[in-house]
Amino acid sequence: MRGTGLQLPRATVGVSRWRRFRAAVDWPLICTILALCTIGLLNLYSATRGLRHQVKFDSQVQWMIVGGIAFTVVTIVDYRAMVRLAWLGLGLAIVLMLLARIQGSTGGDERHGSTYRWLFLGGMGIQPSELVKVMMILVLAKMFQDAETSRYEPKALLIRLALIAVPIGLIAIQPDLGTAVLVSLIVISVGFLAMPSVWPVVHLTLAGLLAIPILWESMHDYQKNRILGFIDCNASDRLSASTANCWHTTQSVFAVGSGKLTGKGFLEGTQNQFNFVPEHWTDFPYSVWAEEWGFAGSVFLIAIFGFLLVWILNVALSARDRVGAVICVGVAAMTFWHVLVNIAMVLGIAPVVGVTLPFISYGGSSLVTFFIAMGLVSNVSLRKHGY
Amino acid sequence: MLIRSQSGPGSGNGPALPELHRRLKWVALAGIIGLFVLVGRLWQLQVMRGDSYFERTVSNVVKERYLPSVRGKILDRKGIALADNRPAFNIYATPKQLTPEVRAELVRMLGLSDDEIVKLGERLAVGTKRDPKIPVLILEDQGRDRAALVEQSLTRLPGIEVHHEPYRYYPQGDLAAHLIGYMTQMTSGEVDKLGNQGYDPSELVGRYGLESAWENYLRGKKGVEHYAVDAKGNRLDDKTAQTLITGERVIGAVPGANLVLTIDADLQRIAEKAVAHMPAAAVVIVEPKTGKIRALVSKPSFDPNVMTGHLTRAEETLLLSDPRKPFVDKALRASYPPGSVFKFVTALAALEDGQAAEDETIFCTGVYQLSNTSFRCNGSHGKMDLVKAIQHSCNVYFWELAQRIGIDRIAELARKFGFGTPTNLGINGDAGGRIPTKAWYEEKLGRYRVGYATNAATGQGDVEVTVLQTAMAYATLANGGTLFVPQVVERVEATDGRTIVAYQPKVAHDVKIPPDALDIWRRGMWKATNEPGGTAFDHGHVDLVPVMGKTGTAEIRTRRKKEEEERDVEGYHPTRSHAWFAGWAPAEDPEIAIVVFIEHGGSGGRVAWPIAKHILESYFTKVSPVAAPKAPVK
Repeated sequence: MRGTGLQLPRATVGVSRWRRFRAAVDWPLICTILALCTIGLLNLYSATRGLRHQVKFDSQVQWMIVGGIAFTVVTIVDYRAMVRLAWLGLGLAIVLMLLARIQGSTGGDERHGSTYRWLFLGGMGIQPSELVKVMMILVLAKMFQDAETSRYEPKALLIRLALIAVPIGLIAIQPDLGTAVLVSLIVISVGFLAMPSVWPVVHLTLAGLLAIPILWESMHDYQKNRILGFIDCNASDRLSASTANCWHTTQSVFAVGSGKLTGKGFLEGTQNQFNFVPEHWTDFPYSVWAEEWGFAGSVFLIAIFGFLLVWILNVALSARDRVGAVICVGVAAMTFWHVLVNIAMVLGIAPVVGVTLPFISYGGSSLVTFFIAMGLVSNVSLRKHGY
Repeated sequence: MLIRSQSGPGSGNGPALPELHRRLKWVALAGIIGLFVLVGRLWQLQVMRGDSYFERTVSNVVKERYLPSVRGKILDRKGIALADNRPAFNIYATPKQLTPEVRAELVRMLGLSDDEIVKLGERLAVGTKRDPKIPVLILEDQGRDRAALVEQSLTRLPGIEVHHEPYRYYPQGDLAAHLIGYMTQMTSGEVDKLGNQGYDPSELVGRYGLESAWENYLRGKKGVEHYAVDAKGNRLDDKTAQTLITGERVIGAVPGANLVLTIDADLQRIAEKAVAHMPAAAVVIVEPKTGKIRALVSKPSFDPNVMTGHLTRAEETLLLSDPRKPFVDKALRASYPPGSVFKFVTALAALEDGQAAEDETIFCTGVYQLSNTSFRCNGSHGKMDLVKAIQHSCNVYFWELAQRIGIDRIAELARKFGFGTPTNLGINGDAGGRIPTKAWYEEKLGRYRVGYATNAATGQGDVEVTVLQTAMAYATLANGGTLFVPQVVERVEATDGRTIVAYQPKVAHDVKIPPDALDIWRRGMWKATNEPGGTAFDHGHVDLVPVMGKTGTAEIRTRRKKEEEERDVEGYHPTRSHAWFAGWAPAEDPEIAIVVFIEHGGSGGRVAWPIAKHILESYFTKVSPVAAPKAPVK
């Protein structure tokens, strides 16, 4: 019953291999991803035009090719095999993260710099914390693979929880609060949807909310400032707010708002073209898109993400087994929170944190991570019909 | 169907993850709420508030720069420029772009003085407060070498610009400095106030004299240039800018109007040279028939070219600490006791009231006794009639007249001649002076003494007048009784020479002087300048034209302490009397009336008259030459 090779539906045995594969592959998923990539490239072209950043466009195309290959590989290798190695994978991610930390403290001047070196040395191009997200989803799938309620004893849960807390803690002290919160959200979301009883997750969430004051005390000043600045900006008149903490949010909101109903047109966004929103190609591509394509384009992009989420859940519902379903739920949660947090931040209703917009943001790590995640969904989808 | 409620065909034993099926509606609800919060926010930002954000992003990019308008010239009556414009290099800085390194580099490169560094800091602070992305003028009117130095290294100095702009220039140097005035940069408070009226924070504004009072005419209208900047404040090219700007990119400036004055630059120069050797003085020359001012001198003065943007702190301190007060216009802002030039008021009042007669004689012993006080005359003149009393400036005669008519009559006539109220010239805040009355003393000191009238009769005590008031009063005597409002601006011209406004002589009021009384006073004046024993004649005589005049020596009442005196400027003795001369020429057909006032100069006849004589002689030979000396009239 357990194969690691490419499994094809029995019903189509006898048809040529390619045609059988074509029938099994989840084309709507692939088409949605391609559509997002196209929008992402279009937007990146506009965002980096005339700023001596054109090299970013080429680099993004190269990363998409790498991502496509990763997607294919992850689709082909049976997800159950991957889930068996989930803990190992998470361990590996933790080791990589520790290595990155050592490297960062010795060689690289910035966290970003050492990540760049990883890409060159390993040829993998995944920021360890990004890898953690994928591995975490696999670990969760392994944790929840059993339908028996008896397996979810408080003691067993606590041990697993402790193990999960390690990488989150490591990300938090990087410090990358945004990613840490995001991974936590993924864990909680999957918990809500996959636990036989929902109460332990409710208790855990409440405990987490109560712990916020303690977390606040241990935060860095710049992190506190970011959040305080966000609150300040909301309190004061947005049009007059221009302090350093507010600059990003204020200019982003200006950009989005100025797009009005139909937008200023491709390559016509002044906030974008004259660089009023700093680093808009990484964390703020949605402000570029909203400025140039207006309300119509902005809602269209959200609709695509909405379809993607519905489709992934659809795959979860029709999955062959519990493991596959949990994987899909994890990927859906990851996508959902990325989209929600990123766009909310661009629209000025969430603090500025380093959370990317899937397939739209510039950057190899995020791109490849999402390709791998979608590869997992495609994998589950491919195998839903049989063994 | 997007979401199938059943699991795939291969499973057969229910859904793979029943929990998900159970909680699906919650998942859908959470997802829909999440995404709809985003869509709602988008609606709010883009559809509801879109227009205001759109404008805000335009103002992010599009900035305005004022194009300086060429300031109107100030010309004398013949068209000689007293205030003009010349090209200058101005260095501007955009506060947002100016890093401390660039600032340090600029200071090093140009070798800026401490003064300039302080000024630069102040101006940047003002500019930053207004809009850090708009360039402010940091160094105005820089030399060609400094401008070239900066222009060569502009790439190393981001945020610095050099502009070639018109700059205020006073070609005649300090000629008529108090009248013309000067210009300075606006203060922070003015920036707030005038900013709404289209002034740029780096602009200079008229600060003194005509430059200040006629600012609205001289200034013209600034042009506006719209340009685009990126987030760092870097200027984008004009082609890009044009696509972002709705309407005209550049609106041209309208030059200011020219002022044509009644002043005669040649006469002004003659008058200024004539008092050049005096530490402090004022001269007013006016046309008796029109009230037009032909020369207006106040000494010590200042160089408006230095004052306009080139005044160092040290120079400023020096000017401000000068006891002679260079910034006070001595012709019309400050008032002084007039001394004997004021006697015409007493004489005319007594004659009008029938309290004096031409042939009445009074014996001057040199001392005048009034109750317990003795008043000393400037000599023992012996038997005097009224004309001789004017000729010799005998105080006793006038003290006697004052006793008869009282202080209030003196004050009444003085006011008719324009004393006690400002002349309304409209510049430098001309003073009203002081003409005391009985009521004034009672209010001020609580009591009135008869001696106050004695003092007032000879222009002493609490009588204070301005030099300009005195000139206007003597012009009135010269023209037979018409008191004019002094006029210094002849007309306002557009740059093409077209007249915008022409000003006609304005009569304040007619002073009804009985002709025979006026005739008596004039004969006294004639003798003073033309006959032996006259207070002026003893110190010189003008042969060229018949001149009438009256000298005055006004004693200083409050004597300063000795040590205070020692600190004073050389040749300036604050305990000495003020020297006055007031008169006109030619005697019967007056062309000009002149008042010379030398602050603490001493005797009017000995000090003020020779200066007036020199001015009159020069005027009638160089400015308005007369063919031959006219025969004496009487």
